[in-house]
Amino acid sequence: MLGLIADAVDGVLAHLDNGLDRLRRRGRGDAPTAALLLFPALTILVVFGMAPLVVSAYMSLYGGKHGMGPFVGLANYVEALQSPVFRRSFLVTVYYAVGTVPTTLLLSFLIAYGLHRIVRGRGLLRTLYFLPYVTSAVAAAMVWRALFNPQTGIVNVLFVRIGLPAQQWLLEPRGVLHLITGGWVPPELGPSLALCCIILFDIWHGSGFMVVVFLAGLAAIPRELEEAARMDGAGGLRIVRHVVIPLLSPTIFFLGVVGAVRAFQAFNSFYALTQGGRTLGTTENLVLHIYSNFYEYGYWGYGAAVAVLLSSAIIALTVIQWRIIGRRVHYS
Amino acid sequence: MIKQNHGIPYHAVVAAVVLTISVALLAAGCGGAPQNAEFRPIDPDNAVFWDRQTTESAALLQQLAGEFNKNRAGLPIKVERSGGYAEIFRKVSASIRARTLPAMAVSYESMTAEYIPTGAVAPLDPFIHDPEIGLIREDLEDFFPVALETNTFSEFGGKMYSFPFAKSVLMLYFNRRVLEAAGITAPPQTWDEFLEQCRRIKAKTGKHAYAVNVDCSTFNAMIFSLGGEVLRGRETLYDSPASIRVFELLETLAKEDLAYQITPGSYDDEVALINDLVAFTLRSSSSRANLALMMNDPARWGLTRIPQGDPSRPVTVLYGPNVVIFNTTPEHQRTAWEFIRFFTSTEISVRWALGTGYMPVRKSALNHPEMQQFWSEWEYNRAAYDCLHFARPEPNIAGWQQVRDLVAQAETEVLARIKPGRQAALDLKRAADAVLARN
Repeated sequence: MLGLIADAVDGVLAHLDNGLDRLRRRGRGDAPTAALLLFPALTILVVFGMAPLVVSAYMSLYGGKHGMGPFVGLANYVEALQSPVFRRSFLVTVYYAVGTVPTTLLLSFLIAYGLHRIVRGRGLLRTLYFLPYVTSAVAAAMVWRALFNPQTGIVNVLFVRIGLPAQQWLLEPRGVLHLITGGWVPPELGPSLALCCIILFDIWHGSGFMVVVFLAGLAAIPRELEEAARMDGAGGLRIVRHVVIPLLSPTIFFLGVVGAVRAFQAFNSFYALTQGGRTLGTTENLVLHIYSNFYEYGYWGYGAAVAVLLSSAIIALTVIQWRIIGRRVHYS
Repeated sequence: MIKQNHGIPYHAVVAAVVLTISVALLAAGCGGAPQNAEFRPIDPDNAVFWDRQTTESAALLQQLAGEFNKNRAGLPIKVERSGGYAEIFRKVSASIRARTLPAMAVSYESMTAEYIPTGAVAPLDPFIHDPEIGLIREDLEDFFPVALETNTFSEFGGKMYSFPFAKSVLMLYFNRRVLEAAGITAPPQTWDEFLEQCRRIKAKTGKHAYAVNVDCSTFNAMIFSLGGEVLRGRETLYDSPASIRVFELLETLAKEDLAYQITPGSYDDEVALINDLVAFTLRSSSSRANLALMMNDPARWGLTRIPQGDPSRPVTVLYGPNVVIFNTTPEHQRTAWEFIRFFTSTEISVRWALGTGYMPVRKSALNHPEMQQFWSEWEYNRAAYDCLHFARPEPNIAGWQQVRDLVAQAETEVLARIKPGRQAALDLKRAADAVLARN
C-alpha cells in the first residue's frame, strides 16, 4: 500500500518537474517554480493575515449592528477618534506598553546575564524562569486574582502585617499616583492600580521568553572579546556597556519590537484578571474595547474601525522603531 | 529589475501573490451567504440547544431532554453547554453572521433584543396559537403574567420572541450568626433599616456588613424597591430621586467601610456569607440551593425579600434566562417549541424548580404536593415564591446590554469613591441615554 502511494507521489512529482522544465525551456525561467514554492506560505499569510485585515477595513465602512447597517464611509473612524472611551482605552494601551516592555527587557537581561555568568544550576534556573511563560495565562491569572483578592488575598495579608494599608488591587480604578500621593494627584491621572497589577502579572509571565532569547544572544558573543576588554582594564559594568550590549543589540531590538507589538495586542491577561475590564474602564485596553464593541454590543463596523486603527498604530510604531532604534543596532 | 540567478524572479512573486489573493478572496466569499438567505441549522440531525447550566442543573436538563426525546419521533433535542451567558451571546452573534444557528438558546431579554433585528429569532406567537402544538387558554393563564410580559417585545411589534425558561428573583441573603452577634434579631425591612443594621454590625463585630456583587439587575431592583423606574420609552431614568438614593446608599456604605465590592464574576460574597464574614448579600433566588449545600446548618442563615422603600408595596426584580428559537428549518423550530412546551409543563416545572432553585413559571406548580412538601421543610424555602407576585422584569430594548455595563461601572466608581453618588447618577444617565440613542 505504502509502495503504491510512494509510486503515485513520484509520478506526480515527475510530471510536475517535466512541466516546469518545459516552461523553463520556453523562456519562462524559474518563475513558475518560484510561484509554486511560494504558494503555500503566501496562502497562509494572505488567508490568515492579509484577508482579515482587508475584510476588517471593508466592514469598518458600514454602520448599524451585526454588519447589517448602511455604508457610512469613514464615520466609524470619526466616531472612534472623538470617543472618550476610545481615547481612554488607547491611553490604557500606551500605559501598559510603557509599563511592560522596557521593564521586562531590563529584568530579563539582568536575569539572563546572571544565568550566563554562573555555571552550576544554570539549566535548572533557566527552566524555572521559563516556567511562567509556558503556563497558561488564564490559569496563572486565576492564581494572581486569588493573591490580589482584597479580602482574602495573601498580598493584603502581607501588606497589613508590615503596617501598610490594605488595597483593592485589581478592583481599584483610581490612579496609582493618586494613591501614592494621598489624593494630591487626581484619581484619573496615570495608570490605575488595577492596571499596574496587570502590568506586574505580564512582566512575570513574559520575562521567561525574553530570558531564553537573551541567553541565546549572550552565548553567541565571542568570549575573546570580553577577555580582550578585561585585559585592557575594563571592569564588569564597562564590559556590559561597551561589549555585551552593543553585540546584543540585534536581540534587544528584536525583543523590543516583538514586545511592543504584543503589548498593543494584549488580551488574555486583561480579560482573565478583570473579567473583561468592563466594571473598571481603567483596565479596558484597545483590544478589549474592540472585543466588547464587536462581540458584546454588536457594533461590528465600529469594532472593525478600531481594529484598523490599532493595526495602523502598531505598524507606525514598528516603523518608528526600525527607523530610530534600528540604526543603532550592530549586526556584526 | 531582479535578476533570475540572484533571487526570486519579480514576476514570480507577483504571480504567486495574485494567485493567493484570488484564492483568499474566493474563500472569504464562500464564508458568508447573502443577508436574505435562510439560517442553516448547525446540526441537521439534531435540534441543538445552547445552554449555560452546570453541575446538578446541567445533569437534570440532560435528563429531561432524554425523557423528551424518548417519547417522540422526529428530531431529538441535543443540549450543549456553551459557556456563560456572555459567551452564548458572543457565539450566537458570530453564528448569526455565519448564518448557521442552533435550534434554540438561552437568552436574556437584552440579548434577544439584539438578535431580533437580524431576523434570526422566530416569533413564538404562531407556535403558541397553533391548534395542534400550541397552548390552550387555560395553559396561558396558568403562567405568571410577569414571566410572559418580559418576553413580549413592545419595540418589535409586541410579539413574543422568547419564552420563560429559568426565572428567579432577587433576594436578600443574611447570616444569622453575624446578625445575632450584633444584637439583631430580624433582617431589615427597609433600606434605612438596612443601613442602620450595617452600622451596628460594623460597630459590634468589626466586620463588613455587606459584600457587594456589582450588577445592573441588582441595582435596578433597588431602584424598583424605592418606587423608582429605570426607563421611560428610550430614555433612562438613572437621574431619578430613587436612583440617586441608591447611589448615595452605596456611597455611604463605602465611605463608612460597611461594605466592600467582590471580584466581578466571582461568588466571593457567598463564600464570605458562609464563613460568617459578612451579614448580607443580594443574589438571585437560584443561589439558595448552593448556599443550602454549603451552609449545612439551616439555623445559620436565611433569605428574605430585599429591603424596600415602602414595605407595604414591595417590589423586586424578576430575572433569569428565557429561551429563543432561531429561524432555521421548520422541523428544527417545531422540535424546539415542543421541547419548550414540555419543559414548562407543570410537572417538569416543579422538578426543575426543586432540582435547581429556579422558580416555576406556572401558578399551578405552587399547588403541587412536592412543592408544598418542599416549603414545609424550612421556613425560608417559600420566601422566593412569595416574591413572585410583585417581581418586575427589566427593560428589554435594543442597546440595554451596553447600558448594563455602564451601570456596573458607575457602581464601581461610587464604591471606589471616585465619584459622589449624585454625580455618578447624572453621568450614568447621560452615558446610558447616548447608548440608547445610538441603537
